[in-house]
Amino acid sequence: MRISGRAVFSLVLAAVAAFAVVSALAWPLKAALFPLVMGIPLCLLALAQLVLDLRGAGRGAAGGPPMDLEPSAGVPPEIARRRTLAVFGWMAGFILLVLFVGFPAAVPLFVFAYLRFQSAAGWGLALVLTAAAWGFFYVLFERVLRFPFEAGLVQTWLGL
Amino acid sequence: MLDALVGGLLLILQWKAFSLMLVGMGVGFVVGLLPGIGGAATLALMLPFVFTMSPVEAFAFLLGMHSVAATTGDITSILFGVPGEGLSAATVVDGHPMAKRGEAGRALGAALASSLVGALIGAATLAISIPIVRPLVLTFGSPELFMVTMMGIACITSLSGLGARAQVKGFAMGFLGLLLSTIGQERQSGTLRFDFGQTYLWEGLDLIPVLVGIFAVPEIIDLAVRGTAIAGDRAAGKLGAGVWEGVKDTFRHFWLVIRCSAVGVFVGILPGAGGGVAQWMAYAHAVQSAKDATDRARFGKGDVRGVLGPGAANNSKEGGDLIPTIAFGVPGSGAMAILLGAFMIMGLLPGPDMLTKHLTVTYSMVWTLVLANVITVLLCLALLKHLAKVTQIRGGLIIPLILFLVFVGSYTANRQIADLVVTLAAGGLGYLMVRFGWPRAPLVLGFVLGKLAETYLFISVARYGYDWLTRPLVLLLMALTAVVIAYPFIQERRRGGLARRAHAD
Repeated sequence: MRISGRAVFSLVLAAVAAFAVVSALAWPLKAALFPLVMGIPLCLLALAQLVLDLRGAGRGAAGGPPMDLEPSAGVPPEIARRRTLAVFGWMAGFILLVLFVGFPAAVPLFVFAYLRFQSAAGWGLALVLTAAAWGFFYVLFERVLRFPFEAGLVQTWLGL
Repeated sequence: MLDALVGGLLLILQWKAFSLMLVGMGVGFVVGLLPGIGGAATLALMLPFVFTMSPVEAFAFLLGMHSVAATTGDITSILFGVPGEGLSAATVVDGHPMAKRGEAGRALGAALASSLVGALIGAATLAISIPIVRPLVLTFGSPELFMVTMMGIACITSLSGLGARAQVKGFAMGFLGLLLSTIGQERQSGTLRFDFGQTYLWEGLDLIPVLVGIFAVPEIIDLAVRGTAIAGDRAAGKLGAGVWEGVKDTFRHFWLVIRCSAVGVFVGILPGAGGGVAQWMAYAHAVQSAKDATDRARFGKGDVRGVLGPGAANNSKEGGDLIPTIAFGVPGSGAMAILLGAFMIMGLLPGPDMLTKHLTVTYSMVWTLVLANVITVLLCLALLKHLAKVTQIRGGLIIPLILFLVFVGSYTANRQIADLVVTLAAGGLGYLMVRFGWPRAPLVLGFVLGKLAETYLFISVARYGYDWLTRPLVLLLMALTAVVIAYPFIQERRRGGLARRAHAD
């Protein structure tokens, strides 16, 4: 039997709720009350949804559409998956960049790299947009708001 | 009182106070546009600048900035599907689908016009209610405030979707939001909950990284997957053309705008419940006021009423927020707590003095709210056609710019790399929710209300035992909550009955 992604999501949700309930049982009542009151119904609702997902697999199990964003149709699933993973990869990369070189250096590096290598923008356009992004960042956060950004690991290692 | 009202206006129109208000508005305008960075954070950053100002100048500067941020936050929410700040998240739900449909101008026009109406109602309520609000606020103790949060959570039902199965998902997400709010140190017993040995989690998850991640990341991914501009391949001429249509929408649904403004004022008055709660309650009210299930199905797909409700409540709650802050020194929200700091810096004591000795200063605040919002909305309306064109730029060029702003905005929460990790994790969760058809709004509402609900529940039980359950106002609010939960089902049944009868005829 093939289990759908929907069912896996419901199962994980039920597992998270069960973990919360079991963890709360070890705490004093004051601290445990609210997580228990929220965790138990969440677990039951997620299990109910899991049953619905399993029973309705393959025949429109989702029920009514949620009042929310609906993923755009019309893009082949393989391309959609590749593009999705690419965005997550870029985001993870940006976080690592911030960790290593700090925000002030990470912003222009990230914007330029994304524009040049992911969006295939020309050198000129990539440089102009990067300069605009960095200028905006510098003027607003560094000059006007004087927001204190932490230095990156590289600067700390080099004693800068 | 009339003298004080006119005196307040004259004070704010003095060149120095007026100029400082414009400077504050400029900062608020830009900050409001940036994803995640809220008016409260900016208020805190700007507080040191007010030391050399007079009270009227300081409040013109700070309030001008704060009230504008709430308005311009809607612009980012609509154009990019990324909440301009915590107060603008509900506008994403219907505003961004409108932008994707090529109706960015109409959505922006509706958001701005309803914001202006909301702001004026909030300011008027503040002006009128200052002398009479005291008994109302004192009637609401912790038990009543707890029930108000429960009613807010019950609104989750109407935010979930159509049919009983959608309600299951809605409630589940609401409970998940409430559960996420329990992460961190429990305030009464000091117990660490779900901290996994991470000191970052001791204070709990911050709203901004969670909110920005859940709403922004799925929209960015959707934009990347489509590989087009936000508005797809729609003609440029259409995008800004609906601005006046949006303004007219405000007056077509004027009664809804008024009701949502009232929701905003009411939530603003309640201590602790901020604009984040007000806009979701207003959105829920807009959904619940739909005529039938077919009408309700339009929400979340780009219904202008879903923009009008949060837009109005967002700004009307500013006036409501100021009422307990000025009258009792009890801040209605985080931003007002920071404003209270400004009172202290100015040597003013909130309370009776502000309603007698410093009444002119109090009214100058009312006028700041009015003038700042009118100027901002007029300015935005003039710029909207150009702003709407942003939705035509190729997605690949916009994504890195949005992403860096999203992460900078999240980082302002605690200035820790962990804020960025939380944003990414919340983004992953948001993406999966969208992909598998789970609604995001109930989760956010549960998360926003969780800490408040737990605190009020604890105080209620500690102070009154179980007698709090029998207080008349609590019983009334319980009944209202039951109605809120049952209403969609009753509506559904009635519609089914009518359809059967029509079929039999």
